[in-house]
Amino acid sequence: MIELYNGASSALFDVVMAPFGHRFPLFDLLLWPVLMGIGALQVYKYVSNQKAIARVKSQISMRLLEIRLFSHDILQVLRSTGGILLRNGLYLGHNLLPLAVMIVPITALMVQLVAHYAYAPSPAGAVELLRVELDPRAGVSSRDVSLELPAGVALDAPGVRTADGQVFWRLRAEREGDHVLKVAVGGETYEKAWAVGGDPRKVPVKRLRSWEALLYPGEPALPAAGPLRSLELAAHTRPLRFLPEGEVGILLWTLVLSLVAGFSLKGLFGVTI
Amino acid sequence: MSSRRSHRARRLAALALPALVAGVLASLAGAKSGRETGVFVVGVDGMDPVILRRLMDEGHMPNFAKLASEGSFQSLGTSNPPQSPVAWSNFVTGMNPGGHGIFDFIHRDPATYHPISSATPPAGDPGPALRFFGYVIPLSAPEVRNNRGGTPWWDVLVEEGVDVEVFRIPGNFPTPESEAKVLDGMGTVDVRGGFGTYTLYTDTLVEKDDPKGDVEVVSVQDLDLDGTPDTVSGVLRGPPDQFRLEPGETPGDGDYLTRGVTIHLDPGPGPGPYEGGNGALPTAVVEVAGQRTLLQQGEWSDWVEVPFDVLPMGLMTVRGTVRFYAKELRPRFQVYASPVNVSPSDPAVPITSPDDFVKEVFEETGFFYTQGLPEDTDALNDGVFDDDDYLKQVALVQEDTRRLVDLALDRFEPGDATFVYLSDIDLQCHMLWRHEDPKHPGAPPHPAHDPAVAPKHAGDIESFYRDVDRLLGDVRRRLPPETLLVVMSDHGFQPFTRDVHLNAWLRDQGYLRLKDGKTTGHIVAGDVDWSKTRAYGLGFNGLYLNLAGREAEGIVDPAEAPALLDEIARGLEALRDPANGARVVRDADRADRVYSGDRRAEGPDLVVGYDRGYGCSDESTLGEITEGVIEDNTSRWSGNHLMSPAVVPGILLVNRKLAADGHDLTDLTVTLLSHYGIEARPGMIGEPIL
Repeated sequence: MIELYNGASSALFDVVMAPFGHRFPLFDLLLWPVLMGIGALQVYKYVSNQKAIARVKSQISMRLLEIRLFSHDILQVLRSTGGILLRNGLYLGHNLLPLAVMIVPITALMVQLVAHYAYAPSPAGAVELLRVELDPRAGVSSRDVSLELPAGVALDAPGVRTADGQVFWRLRAEREGDHVLKVAVGGETYEKAWAVGGDPRKVPVKRLRSWEALLYPGEPALPAAGPLRSLELAAHTRPLRFLPEGEVGILLWTLVLSLVAGFSLKGLFGVTI
Repeated sequence: MSSRRSHRARRLAALALPALVAGVLASLAGAKSGRETGVFVVGVDGMDPVILRRLMDEGHMPNFAKLASEGSFQSLGTSNPPQSPVAWSNFVTGMNPGGHGIFDFIHRDPATYHPISSATPPAGDPGPALRFFGYVIPLSAPEVRNNRGGTPWWDVLVEEGVDVEVFRIPGNFPTPESEAKVLDGMGTVDVRGGFGTYTLYTDTLVEKDDPKGDVEVVSVQDLDLDGTPDTVSGVLRGPPDQFRLEPGETPGDGDYLTRGVTIHLDPGPGPGPYEGGNGALPTAVVEVAGQRTLLQQGEWSDWVEVPFDVLPMGLMTVRGTVRFYAKELRPRFQVYASPVNVSPSDPAVPITSPDDFVKEVFEETGFFYTQGLPEDTDALNDGVFDDDDYLKQVALVQEDTRRLVDLALDRFEPGDATFVYLSDIDLQCHMLWRHEDPKHPGAPPHPAHDPAVAPKHAGDIESFYRDVDRLLGDVRRRLPPETLLVVMSDHGFQPFTRDVHLNAWLRDQGYLRLKDGKTTGHIVAGDVDWSKTRAYGLGFNGLYLNLAGREAEGIVDPAEAPALLDEIARGLEALRDPANGARVVRDADRADRVYSGDRRAEGPDLVVGYDRGYGCSDESTLGEITEGVIEDNTSRWSGNHLMSPAVVPGILLVNRKLAADGHDLTDLTVTLLSHYGIEARPGMIGEPIL
């Protein structure tokens, strides 16, 4: 399921994102949050009960007015306050359906923006740590895990196999390229991509197998029944000059910009929020 | 670069006219003014003129030799006493200690007779605090200020519109406010607030009983019960837990914020082929605060930035940076963690002026040692490091230094004033002199000389000199040729073979008495009978009278002080080493004769200038009264300069011909100003050398 979702979103966004290449992050980081805000408005407009929302907001305004007019009557103030709380609950309830409809595409868009723009390829010559985490339920010993390196990647130090089922290798990127590391365990081979040097691009960071894999669509999720819990390489944050950078920076930027766009354009699209 | 240019632009408008006038006058005089050429100063702590001359003559220092032949090379008078904080303060302010108020590494509080830091006098009343769910919230912050008085030359230049950048200047922490861009050097604390406390995770004891670092004796656990021990858990101490300490309370061992450290050891070759190959060194992963670094035995990690939670859930954190060293993983276990440095990416205390200059440096260079004395001489002294370990660590410091010098050169533009500091020579002369005396070839072996390791390290100090020579070559290649280039050191070096317990001598001469018939004791422990004590020693060169009206229990009438000081000075200068008949003290100078300035009264009454080979013991420096007066210095701290200024002058090289010699550090200060046509400020005592 995760695999399907990531695959579909990557298939779509890998085509539509970065039409001018990854050197121009500003285009996508302005366009998509604004489109997301507009899209959310449309979903809101057609999925939510606009009349009910307008009615609830109006009722909340009335109760607020009651509090101002009858501030000398403590019982009325309490009744009005209770009414406001009740209608706030109703208002939130009216938002649940549009939220449920929007959450899937919005999440997909945000993690794709992160995957495309949060990380930079490792520079040639970089030394990074590859971490393999085993599932203790799989009954595989860390001594049974081995690594096959492609040309252009070298082992910088012998690996470390920990007592709690992790294996670490320190690797050195000797050449630019999109390298593929192969981790063999229990008769199976698992691949891990490593982007080294070259132009900015979508950089694979982690392969996971739980719901967290939804956040890392750069590579296929690990098989749920396999012996590996995760395969990850340390990633470099891509500097974005004037924009917030890194995973959190891009997520916040996208969220804030889409909210700004949505609230700014709700009148134009005739949407009651 | 852009911020430096914008700064220049702001200044330009206000200062265009005087600059124009200065430029016109300089043109008429046929010489380019400092505003056109600029000045670049390389401060090499501890570089000695005798060693330098020999190495130049032997052809080992071609860049220094070239600079000397094209310009000038001479000895440079140091401060009295020739201690780094004192000497650099002379250079920074153009004053002697009587003016700037830094007399020694260690001062004393006349109210308690206790030693105190010369850089940061005790803060005042810490004030009240609120107590809230176990937290202590101070309602006021006592002022922590830099004790150095006077006006730094960079402040004068900035006021006059010169762009100034100063990298790692000693004695500038706590950081005074300044518009000049200044990165603090020697004296800058680690996150614990001290001068650097290392941590050693070890399964065996270290050779010293009272190591200066945190030695955590750990056991390597076998978590997977496969018969091979694999995991170590330890603790890394960060800053004091200020919200748990009463205002003004000194933190104890348990009063620091901590982070757990887990070290996973690889079990080694298994049944299959081992990827390290036969004979490969063991490996481990060090894990702290969610960050991991893989080390092979003998390797150092890169910097790891560690957040320490001041408030729960990361609501407030202090960031420090640490490097790990896998000294030995198997069969013994010893992993060293450097002192946790103030992080340059997010410093917990200001270590530059303006405050954010450090981030500018960090963006260009990445992490670097921010601790003032980064070479871990404590670890070497404690036996945690051997000489090879120490030299590996010094190499890391050198890498940082080179990156900072590169940055300084990248940013330098004609008309700027830039200072860079190199610690390469000083600490290595302190620690490695015992292997071979580079100043007196063929001299008898140092008492700490170890013939087993000496041959390997005999040339280490000379090698550091050659490193500085290569760096000078880079500096000259990259600087515009008309830039005024000054290479200077704050003092030279001598062997330190014999420890002098000054307080024991004062006791033997009847100037210092202990209570209850004791013959040994400690000033801090209250063992001194002040009602019968006329003089005492504190600091590396300081001797104080127990003066009535100044000291808490003073008995010496101020009117009798000069005669008493002369008497003690004569006694010290007449002191001979019973082991060899050598003179122990070359000059014992009365402070009122060698110091000038408003702060003269804060310093010692007599400055004890030890002769070559002699120096005040650590014990006496901190106020201990020992049994004997002179003994062999068997410490690895084997070279020294805390002597008479006459035996440890520094060096001065300038890419201009100098008409005279006999200059000292305070002359350089006014030279930097006069190069830009600026008058010396009141209190500056030097004369321009150009």
